[in-house]
Amino acid sequence: MTTASVSRPRPSGWQQASRLWRRAPRSFRIGAVILAFHILAAAIGLFWTPYGFSQLFTGAPLSGMSWQHPFGVDQSGRDILSRVLYGGHIVLLLSISGTSLGLVIGATIGLLSGYIGGWLDEILQRVLEAIISIPFIVLALIAIAAAGPELAGNPLLIVLVVALVYAPRIARMARAAALDIVTRDFITAARLRGESAWSVMWRELLPNATSVLLVEFALRAGYAPVLIGSLGFLGFGMRPPMPEWGLLISENRAALITNTPITVLGPGLALASLVVGLNLFTEGLARILGRSVQIGQR
Amino acid sequence: MTAAPLVEVRDLSVAYRHDDGWLRVIDGVSFAIGRGEVFGLVGESGCGKSTIAYHLLGYQRPTSRVENGQVLFAGTDVLSLGRPALDRLRGDRISLVPQNPTTALTPGMRVGEQVAEVLTQHRAGKSAADIAARTRELFELVGLSDVTRIGRRFPHQLSGGQQQRIIIAMALACEPDLVVLDEPTTGLDVTTQEQIIALLKDLRARLGMSMLYVTHDLGVLAEIADRVGVMYAGQMVEIAPTATLFRQPRHPYTRGLIASIPQIEAGGRPRGRPLRGLLRRDELPEGCPFQPRCEFAEPSCAARRQHLAEVAIDHRVACQRWQTIDAPAPVPPEAAATPAAQAPAPLLALEGVTLGYGASSWLGLQRSTTPIVVQELSFSIQRGEVFALVGESGSGKSTVARAISGLLAPAAGRLLFDGMPLPGAVKARSGDLRRRVQYIFQNPDASLNPRLRVGRIVGRPLEMFEQLDRVMLKQRVAAALRDVRLDADYVQRYPDQLSGGERQRVAIARALVAGPDLLLCDEVLSALDVSVQASVLALLRRLRLEHNLAMLFISHDLAVVRSLADRIGVLFRGHLMEVGGVDAVFAPPFHPYTHSLLMAVPGARAKQLRPFDKQPAGTPPQVGIGCAFAGRCPWQAGKICEEQAPPWRAASSGLQIRCHLPLEELDRRAVWRPAGATACEPSQDLREQAISS
Repeated sequence: MTTASVSRPRPSGWQQASRLWRRAPRSFRIGAVILAFHILAAAIGLFWTPYGFSQLFTGAPLSGMSWQHPFGVDQSGRDILSRVLYGGHIVLLLSISGTSLGLVIGATIGLLSGYIGGWLDEILQRVLEAIISIPFIVLALIAIAAAGPELAGNPLLIVLVVALVYAPRIARMARAAALDIVTRDFITAARLRGESAWSVMWRELLPNATSVLLVEFALRAGYAPVLIGSLGFLGFGMRPPMPEWGLLISENRAALITNTPITVLGPGLALASLVVGLNLFTEGLARILGRSVQIGQR
Repeated sequence: MTAAPLVEVRDLSVAYRHDDGWLRVIDGVSFAIGRGEVFGLVGESGCGKSTIAYHLLGYQRPTSRVENGQVLFAGTDVLSLGRPALDRLRGDRISLVPQNPTTALTPGMRVGEQVAEVLTQHRAGKSAADIAARTRELFELVGLSDVTRIGRRFPHQLSGGQQQRIIIAMALACEPDLVVLDEPTTGLDVTTQEQIIALLKDLRARLGMSMLYVTHDLGVLAEIADRVGVMYAGQMVEIAPTATLFRQPRHPYTRGLIASIPQIEAGGRPRGRPLRGLLRRDELPEGCPFQPRCEFAEPSCAARRQHLAEVAIDHRVACQRWQTIDAPAPVPPEAAATPAAQAPAPLLALEGVTLGYGASSWLGLQRSTTPIVVQELSFSIQRGEVFALVGESGSGKSTVARAISGLLAPAAGRLLFDGMPLPGAVKARSGDLRRRVQYIFQNPDASLNPRLRVGRIVGRPLEMFEQLDRVMLKQRVAAALRDVRLDADYVQRYPDQLSGGERQRVAIARALVAGPDLLLCDEVLSALDVSVQASVLALLRRLRLEHNLAMLFISHDLAVVRSLADRIGVLFRGHLMEVGGVDAVFAPPFHPYTHSLLMAVPGARAKQLRPFDKQPAGTPPQVGIGCAFAGRCPWQAGKICEEQAPPWRAASSGLQIRCHLPLEELDRRAVWRPAGATACEPSQDLREQAISS
């Protein structure tokens, strides 16, 4: 009966994983499959593509869909599929590292601000609100303009811009989580021990805010490709001939009104499926974390 | 009981989803509740009593399933009813009073509307005037006279007791046949609890509805229930009329439960043998679930399933050994707590400390008035002495502990620790001072970081206060865990893998590992089950002797205080009313407030002392003038109480009482007397009668 279930042998790692998989929400599973496909494609694209990503005259320019060129050929005769495949790792790496940096900065500011409170908290919050009130594309453009022309197109700059846009939003979430956690007695206990603010953040707040922060990270990472793509489309992102997806769409947008819309739809589809996959994945992840993690009591 | 019962639970089995399988939490439970009867269901947390309560309302958790059985309410099986039929039934014929009134009321709706909502739901077609009239009637019924004022308030503007009254009014709105009460007084302090129980008894006498009263507190059931069912690990182990159950408990678990109740009359040592260990769902044998913890267990107990058998009229027990086991042998008395040596300088002294929560506003531009919580408090604690601070919730007990710990700087007065002034703020204190004063919190769920392993939690104070290498640190942590009787491999566990009692032990270990001189214990037992309370209490008693600890022990539970403290201070709204040695405080003369606290304790010894001159509350005193207790005092001397601060009166026993009435008068008026009788002594003639029948 019931007691038997406890004494059964420890399930192997594989069994545990497959059980978790079966229990995960459907959106998580679909998202994970799409995401895995993207990561695989990006990894392959880094080493092998049907043609070189910047190889000219692989076929007749603007010749549309064909077995040789499923996503068509652009004006210079470059194979779009090869460019999309190669561009995958750029989009993924920029999105993840930008969001990660934003998470580290935002979480640190938010948790400390929530724990210390007082006038420091007030000032920080007003500054963050001011930054959030600027539409993110405008904020990104201001930051790029401020960085100057010699840094334009530098992937590092893109990462910093993504971090700048996301950090204030993540900081607010982190602060909200911290405000809830600081009322718990274990924070009081730490205070009575005379722990420093940094130590309280690191040892007491962060472990309890992980689920909130992970969800926030996943959510932001889901939209980062769109932000990077928008910058590329506007010409403020990566420089040609790097096949970043937003840039690809921008380069070929004239083809939309000609007879070969696939040259735009191809990269567009890649971007859309990545964003949809990421969002399904993160939505599912949020549900899993929300289900299993309760701060404090149950 | 020849008439058909109102409720009949037949062989109910319920299982919850658990990992991959189903865990049976209710296992073949049967009982009946007659019309107008109050049936109490008692057991430790996790025994399934609340699950049964909710099934009576036809409510099943989404992850649960009914494996067997029926719940018949007036002949119909509520478990087979569909949603619309249940909606009509709930709130109308069967209603619920849940545990926590704060979460049970909608925060954004006025309480009057919430009561009226029940009526509009079930009595459609009634006019608004009718509903308003009935709402007023209900408010009066539950003792909230001023419906226009209280009805317009939001839940957070009411006290816990008032909130629970509102919930009861909602439950009674449609004059139900059955009211299910799930721990209705657990979150309330003693005085409020007493009022709510009195209200329930009164309502039941007037309205004649049936009740299912679910609680872990047998003492409460002694006051209100007609019959009691004792549950253990999902099984009903004993059902008996209340008086019989207390006089002659048959099941070893029931005996343990009764013995675990701290007895205020019995003083220092617990009588009988309290329960050992804990309910562990994963260690249940095939047969009797109580076998691993039972002192009378035979090998066959573990294998053979126990069924309820009639041992006397209306008294059924599920134990194969009920005929042979006898009353538990009393434990040999422990070594008496050594009274603290009267050292010349106390360890801690408070001199005229006034405390208030000041809202320091933004940038300090405006200074709001600070509400005073504790008024000119003075007392001292000697080395190795346990000083208990008692009083109802809101009396400022915890505020005192917060001030001593350094979380709240006093507004006036000063603190002396070991003869030296103690800085008000934690940040201003040296590491050594922080080490020597340790705080143990009420709720171990909240005071332990759920994301850290026990080893790191307990080891942290050592990292902070002492420079130790890893090996030494590990040894010290293991020693601390051993000290609180926890296994050394617990260092790898997370707090949520421990039971409530084990968690509180971890919290105690964390305080002890620093090597403190003074422990601040803030209601450390009140979040724990009765049986766990007894063992943690025993632990504290042992530790204070072994480590020569001084304690400030804050509690609202007088029985617990009596069994641990050396001296007691009684606090009312921030004013100290009575101070003295434990025996002096628990003997007449009493301060009127102390007396009313003692009278409010629900006794498992049933109510031998009810007559208590209750006086309608007079006018509250003006702030700062007069006695703080004036207006609530049943023995109020007259105008003088409201106009003049009462003097301290000292008795020869070292007892000090702050009252206008002279000590002789207080002594004369006291109704409560300490008694030394024991509770669970099966009387011989009754047992013979039971066997012969």
